[in-house]
Amino acid sequence: MSGCGAVVGGVSLDNVDITNQAVIQGVISSGNVPASVGYARLLDQNDEFVAEVPISKQGEFRFFTVAGDWTVVALVPGANSRTGVTAEIGKVLDVDIAVTK
Amino acid sequence: MSNQALVDAEWALSHLDDTKVVFIEVDEDTEAYSGNHIKNAIALNWKTDLQDPIRRDFVNKEQFEALLSAKGVSNDDTVVLYGGNNNWFAAYAYWYFKLYGHGDVRLLDGGRKKWELDGRDLISDVPSRSATKYVAKDQDRSIRAFRDDVLKAIGTQNLVDVRSPDEYAGRLLAPAHLPQEAARIGGHIPTAANIPWSKAANEDGSFKSIEELKALYEGAGVDLKKDTIAYCRIGERSAHSWFVLHELLGVKNVSNYDGSWTEYGSLVGVPVAVGDEPGTA
Repeated sequence: MSGCGAVVGGVSLDNVDITNQAVIQGVISSGNVPASVGYARLLDQNDEFVAEVPISKQGEFRFFTVAGDWTVVALVPGANSRTGVTAEIGKVLDVDIAVTK
Repeated sequence: MSNQALVDAEWALSHLDDTKVVFIEVDEDTEAYSGNHIKNAIALNWKTDLQDPIRRDFVNKEQFEALLSAKGVSNDDTVVLYGGNNNWFAAYAYWYFKLYGHGDVRLLDGGRKKWELDGRDLISDVPSRSATKYVAKDQDRSIRAFRDDVLKAIGTQNLVDVRSPDEYAGRLLAPAHLPQEAARIGGHIPTAANIPWSKAANEDGSFKSIEELKALYEGAGVDLKKDTIAYCRIGERSAHSWFVLHELLGVKNVSNYDGSWTEYGSLVGVPVAVGDEPGTA
């Protein structure tokens, strides 16, 4: 059984059928380089928490969700930022986020 | 926040070298500890250490005793749990330690996330602790709910679904960092209120103030004089909410349904509600 908890940088897309889900993924950078410590948080259209993952050492994150409008919150030491996105079923949406301290 | 069950970073820093204080990291990402961790902390794997290897259940009393003995934890040690992702699995382990009657167990406010975001030190050295003879108590069933307890509670006691609104409504089957391919149905237990665990936490993972936490539950119309059962998907987010209710707010008649939606949503013949409203009994 998978936990409800976060997997660093999301999980592999190998052997995952993405035709019935929407994928939001990307890289969080700080100071023009990928952040090595931080978190990506996904909020729904009512600003409610949906999920959060620690980013990988390369700043990567990934969410699996359904179609709709979402907000990705990037949290790094000393700063954060919000990015609105629209996800579609069957598509992988790449979102690169630059956080300014 | 002043509470015996919760410690902050300053308290932790002043006890890192105290041999009678055992810091234990419990993460959903079971490889996080091997990367780095708080000085002198040991690790527990929520799955391989705390779950029975065959049945869907916890390790039993004897297995728990063997685990903590091997890890070098004594009955009179102060155990301080922390972990990633807002302490979900650390809260789950906290509840677990309470289930087996450990005397002094605490949670590090904000867990690994706040520690990291505050720029505090993490190291890779793994401490060595001598084996002990840990003795556990029988499970405290007053804080653990099973599916029959949940069925009896529909329409009569408080059921609190602490998952996200989209999971509660049945629009998502799992948290959004996991593939949405679970075979089980979506929805929630009829009459359950949806009070997401996240409303109890600040963005850095620390708990909100006691006043804010009281207002959260009272504002959601939960009569805390009644018995309350919290649940989520597999019981770890609801352990976080159980911690808020039982340990921070002092509400004693609260239990955690660790079978949660992965069990209930797969049962044959039980009532299920979908959508944003609690539904009727």
